[in-house]
Amino acid sequence: MREIGYIQAMNEALAEEMERDETVFVIGEDVQAGVFGPTRGLVQKFGPERIMDTPLSETAVAGACVGAAMAGYRPIADFMFADFMFIAANEIINNAAKWHFIHGGKVNLPLVFFACVGGFARVGPEHSQCPESIYMHTPGLKLVLPATPYDAKGLLKTAIRDNNPVVYFYHKRLLGLVGGVPEEEYTVPFGVADVKREGADVTVVATAYMVKLALDVAKELEGKVSLEVVDPRTLEPLDIETIVSSVKKTGRVVIVDEDTRRCSVSAEIGMQIMEKAFDSLDAPIQRVGARNMPIAGAFMEQYVLPQPRDIVAAIEVVTGKRLA
Amino acid sequence: MALSKEQLIKLYTNLVRARKADEVCVKGLHEGKVVCFFHSGQGEEAVGVGGCTFLRKDDYIYAQHRGHGIAHTLGKGASPKGFIAEHYGKATGAAGGIAGFHAAEPELGILGGAGTIGSTFPVALGWGLAAKKRGKGQVVVAFFGDGASNRGTLHEAMNLAALWKLPIVWVCHNNLYAQWMPIKDAYSREDIADLAAGYGMPGVVVDGQDVIAVHEAVQAAVGRARAGEGPSLIECKTYRFRAHNEGSRDIAHADPRPPEEIEAWKKRDPIKLFQERLLEQGVLTGEDVERIDGEATAEMEEAERFAMGSPLPDPSVLEKLLYAD
Repeated sequence: MREIGYIQAMNEALAEEMERDETVFVIGEDVQAGVFGPTRGLVQKFGPERIMDTPLSETAVAGACVGAAMAGYRPIADFMFADFMFIAANEIINNAAKWHFIHGGKVNLPLVFFACVGGFARVGPEHSQCPESIYMHTPGLKLVLPATPYDAKGLLKTAIRDNNPVVYFYHKRLLGLVGGVPEEEYTVPFGVADVKREGADVTVVATAYMVKLALDVAKELEGKVSLEVVDPRTLEPLDIETIVSSVKKTGRVVIVDEDTRRCSVSAEIGMQIMEKAFDSLDAPIQRVGARNMPIAGAFMEQYVLPQPRDIVAAIEVVTGKRLA
Repeated sequence: MALSKEQLIKLYTNLVRARKADEVCVKGLHEGKVVCFFHSGQGEEAVGVGGCTFLRKDDYIYAQHRGHGIAHTLGKGASPKGFIAEHYGKATGAAGGIAGFHAAEPELGILGGAGTIGSTFPVALGWGLAAKKRGKGQVVVAFFGDGASNRGTLHEAMNLAALWKLPIVWVCHNNLYAQWMPIKDAYSREDIADLAAGYGMPGVVVDGQDVIAVHEAVQAAVGRARAGEGPSLIECKTYRFRAHNEGSRDIAHADPRPPEEIEAWKKRDPIKLFQERLLEQGVLTGEDVERIDGEATAEMEEAERFAMGSPLPDPSVLEKLLYAD
């Protein structure tokens, strides 16, 4: 299989879906230039009416997508940083998520809220968040977090074709990641977790950049403890069955989520494991996430965000072994 | 273009129908049949009826929350059955009984609305963008209140609508109060239409109690929009006759609204004004007035019977409604 980058994978998905369906368009601040890269070069191919640059108007961009979606288009709102989506919280959480439901299913909103998440870039609390817990908490949205170029492309194509509002978060520390992506057409279905590494001793559930950290830790601990890394890929729908069957095999679980730990995705997944696999647990579930404070910038960031050593420490707790 | 006799009678009839549908919900709320809440639009019907009655079927409207949009949606061709049934929480309601006050009739260009005031602007912007992309001459008529005009969403959406020359007609019901906040304490100028100048679009003030004035202003703006000349802003000076929401105190800040103000505006009831004009012009006779009134009453009674006889939604639909297939 050929290898391409995470950015190129998303770029191909956008181009292919825009080619396939003329109702697809992208709208946001500086999407023609493409700040993080996924939309770069598309304006030359599809023109400024389908790769629409806007001023700083997050509520108008999000609302325009809500409106255009129910009027027959498949818009993609590019917010650049996921942090900026809070500006349009009414349009995303009150409008997009609820419209289909509250109007008795008479109108569909096929749209994608597209944004870059994550820290490890030392750029401070309004450019570093992984706010997936808020969107997972909101009924009516779907939520996608690709961790590899393969998933990034296949999930973005599925997101664009879905008839619901989909929040698609790509991670800024994965932008340079290269991985296998087939030349031929494929999609990745929602709600199907991917076991990124098989193992016997501990299940590590991780998303986005945390998948990479978990895989790095798994490699580092080879010979001492065998980690199984499960990537849900989509948090709504969530493939809890795959997670539970892994936990039933290993009996131990660590959930790694970059979002602030309090009320996080890890809390939800941990509770679901408790409900579905309590008798299989040989140790209390451990969670790794950001500390309950804004994400500091510059050198202080590392003291807020979850680090590989925190994953190792959690694995020590569930296994009772000294590993460091 | 002057309206024909039939068109004048249609406008009048829609005003009467909207008032009577509103009265059903006011009464229904006090009788416990309206299970959500109700924000009566009595006094403001000329805005919705004048703005929507002569649009194209495929034009989009974003109804304003006064009367929960009944004057707008009846004007656009919706049936009062769905409106009343929705307020009664029934499965035959205009939102399947899921909302209690929303309405979606996609085949009539009624795609629904949001419960948060000021959501109108960005969503209508999206409809306008879709209409322009499709290139079939559709327009969007987006209604909002003076309260919504204080939201920042207005700026973002009006700026982009003007910049992109989208076919949108922004129509403000300025009824002088945002819930209990008088406009004089919420806005430093007299006319909301003044905002239009900042976006380089036409802004006009019309008498919102005069259905013909509203109709003419909206049609002029619709003509501009269809011709690709972009958006317009129309401010309709109007007044609600009842409290902000049914059952609440009728106040301004924390004190009662001035009774003399309410009485003065009630003398300018849009139905009464139009009826007098049509009688004077010989478009209507006293018999016509009685007949239209009787027919509208019968229509609402039938709609209410329909609502009362309709089943509640099956709770199992909730799960299915969460996501579209």
